[in-house]
Amino acid sequence: MLIQRIFASVLLLVCASLALMAWPYQAAFSYEPVGPRAFPLLMLGLMGLALLYMVFRPAPIKHSEDEPPLDRETLTKISICVALLLVFAGLFEPLGFILSSILIGIPMARLYGGRWVPSVIVTTLMAIGLYVLFDRVMDVPLPLGLLDVLEN
Amino acid sequence: MDTLGYLGQGFGVALSPYNLVTALTGTLIGTVVGLLPGLGPINGVALLIPIAFALGLPPESALILLAAVYLGCEYGGRISSILLNIPGEASTVMTTLDGYPMARKGLAGVALSLSAWSSFIGAFIATCGMVLFAPLLAKWAIAFGPAEYFVLMVFAIVCLGGMAGDRPLKTFIAALIGLFLSSVGIDANSGVYRFTGDNIHLTDGIQFVVLVLGLFSISEILLLLEKTHRGQEAVKATGRMMFNFKEAASVFVVNIRCGLLGFIMGVLPGAGATLASAVAYMTEKRIAGASGKFGQGDARGLAAPETAIGASACGALVPMLTLGVPGSGTTAVMIGALSLYNITPGPLLFQQQPDIVWGLIASLFIANIMLVILNIPMIRIFTRILAVPNWALVPVIAIITGIGVYAVHATTFDLFLMVGIGIFGYILRKLDFPLSPVLLGFILGGLMEQNLRRALSISNGALDILWSSPITFGVWVLTALMLAFPLLRIWRRRSAARNAIADV
Repeated sequence: MLIQRIFASVLLLVCASLALMAWPYQAAFSYEPVGPRAFPLLMLGLMGLALLYMVFRPAPIKHSEDEPPLDRETLTKISICVALLLVFAGLFEPLGFILSSILIGIPMARLYGGRWVPSVIVTTLMAIGLYVLFDRVMDVPLPLGLLDVLEN
Repeated sequence: MDTLGYLGQGFGVALSPYNLVTALTGTLIGTVVGLLPGLGPINGVALLIPIAFALGLPPESALILLAAVYLGCEYGGRISSILLNIPGEASTVMTTLDGYPMARKGLAGVALSLSAWSSFIGAFIATCGMVLFAPLLAKWAIAFGPAEYFVLMVFAIVCLGGMAGDRPLKTFIAALIGLFLSSVGIDANSGVYRFTGDNIHLTDGIQFVVLVLGLFSISEILLLLEKTHRGQEAVKATGRMMFNFKEAASVFVVNIRCGLLGFIMGVLPGAGATLASAVAYMTEKRIAGASGKFGQGDARGLAAPETAIGASACGALVPMLTLGVPGSGTTAVMIGALSLYNITPGPLLFQQQPDIVWGLIASLFIANIMLVILNIPMIRIFTRILAVPNWALVPVIAIITGIGVYAVHATTFDLFLMVGIGIFGYILRKLDFPLSPVLLGFILGGLMEQNLRRALSISNGALDILWSSPITFGVWVLTALMLAFPLLRIWRRRSAARNAIADV
C-alpha cells in the first residue's frame, strides 16, 4: 500500500513538472484552433486525477503464487543486472558488438546461476554466432568496434 | 461476390513460393520465441520488425511474416503451458488448467495436437467472419470523419479499462502514460519540440520498437531474476502424437461455440485473447455441468480456451485492418510495423492495397495449417528447447533485444532509453499495472491527437463537433456504458460483501 502511495506521488510530481514544461509550448504561427500543448496537457491532467485517487485509495496488489517477496538479495541482483545492461549500452559502439556482448553476457549468465566454464563458452559462441547471423546473413549492421582491425 | 474474388487473389499472393517460405520461417521462429520464457507474441513481433525491414522484404511479405510469427508465438506458448504447467503469458493460463493434467496422463502429444487443431478451427471461424464482415465495416468506416475517429479511440481506451476487470484505474493510468509518451518529439503540425529536453535523439519521438522491447523484454529479464531455478520438469511427450477422430468429434461443438465467442471478443477493442479464453473456459465448464471433468484433463477444457484464443487473435485484426484502431497489444505492434512501410491501416487499405489485406487473410489460413502439420514432426525438438536453462537463455534474449533496438536507428541513445523504459516497466509490473495498455495508448496517442485537432479545425474550435453526429453520439453512449460497467461491478461486489456481513 505504502509503496503504491509513494509511486503515485512521485508520478504525480513528474506529471506536474511535465505540465509546467508543456505550458510554454505554443505555435509561433498557426491556423489551428488547437495548439501543440492541448493534448499532452489533457493527458497529464487526466493522469494526475487518476494518480491523486490512487494516492488516497491505493488498490491492493495481487501477487501471483510463484512470486517470491522482494528481498535484499534479489534487489542486489536486479541492480547488478541493470548496471550490466547500462554497461552494454555504453560499450556497444566503442568495443563493438562481439566484445561487449561477451563482456556482459558472462556475468549475466553467472547472475542467473550458470557455472563459469559453460557460461564463457556459451556466451562467446553466441556473441560470434549472432554477429554472423545478423550482420552478415541478415544485413543488420552491427558495430565491430575494436575488432575492426581483424577485418580485411 | 467480389469478396471471394479478392480472397482468391489473396491466396495467389500468399501461395507464391517466396511468401510460403516466409510464412514457414515465421511460424518456426514464432514457435521457438513463444516457447522461451520471457518472450511472447508482443516481443516476438517487435523484434522482427527492424529485421524484416533490414531484409528488405516487400510490405505484404513482411506483414505475412509478422502474422505468422504472431500465430507461432501463440502456439509456442501453448507448448510450455501444456508440458510445463507454466503459462507463457496471461492468455494461456486457462490452457494449463486441463492441458497439463492431460499431459500428466500420458496424452501430451494428443493435447498438443488437439490444441493446435482447436486453435485452427477458431482461427478458421474468425477468418470466415473477417472475410464476411471486414469489407462491410471498411465500407461503413469510410463515412468516418476525424471527430468519429477521435471518439472511437476514446471508446477503445475506455474499453480497455472496462474489460480489464479488477483494476480499471491502473489500466487507465497505464493507457494515459502511453498516450502521453506518444506526444514526445517534434509536433508535426506546428514544429514545436515537445518534451525533448533539447536531446537530438528524441526529436523523432520515442521509437516504437524501443518502447516495446524495453517495456516487455527488459522488464521480463529483470522478473526472471526472481525465479532463478525452474520448479518443474517438462512432461515427456511420448506415445500417440495425433488426436483421433473420436477426440476431435467430442470437442467439435465446443470448437464452434468458442470460435464464435472468441471472434466477437477479439473484434471488441480491449477484450482480447485473455478475456476470451477465460470466458470460453467458464462457459464450457458451466455447459458441461457435472458430466465434465474440468480441471482434471478434460479435452473440452483444453479445446475451449484454445479455440477462443485462436479466434480472438484473428478477430483482433478486424478493427486493425478496417479502422486502423488496434484492439490488442500485438495488433498495436503490427500497426507500428506497417507505419514503418508508410502503410496506414484503415478503410482505404481495402481499396488501395487489396493485395496486402487479402494476402494477409489468406496467409493466416496457411500459417494455421502449417502449425498443425509442423506440430507432429517437430514436437520432440520443441520440447528439447524447453530444457534450455535460464542462465544460457537470458543473455541471449538481452543481446538480441539490444540488436533489435540498435537496428532501428543505430544509436546507443536508444539502448540507454530501452534500459530506462525497462526499469520503469519492471516497477509498473511489480505494482500490478498492466503493460499492454501503455503500448496501445502509445499507438493510439498520435492518431488521437491528429484527429482531435483536425476535427476542431473543421469546426473552427467549436467542441460540439465531437458529439453532434449520430455516429459520435452513439459511440459516446457506448463509452458511457463501458465506464459504468466496472463501477457497477464494484458496487455489486460491495453490496454483496455488506449482505454477507449482515447475514453473520
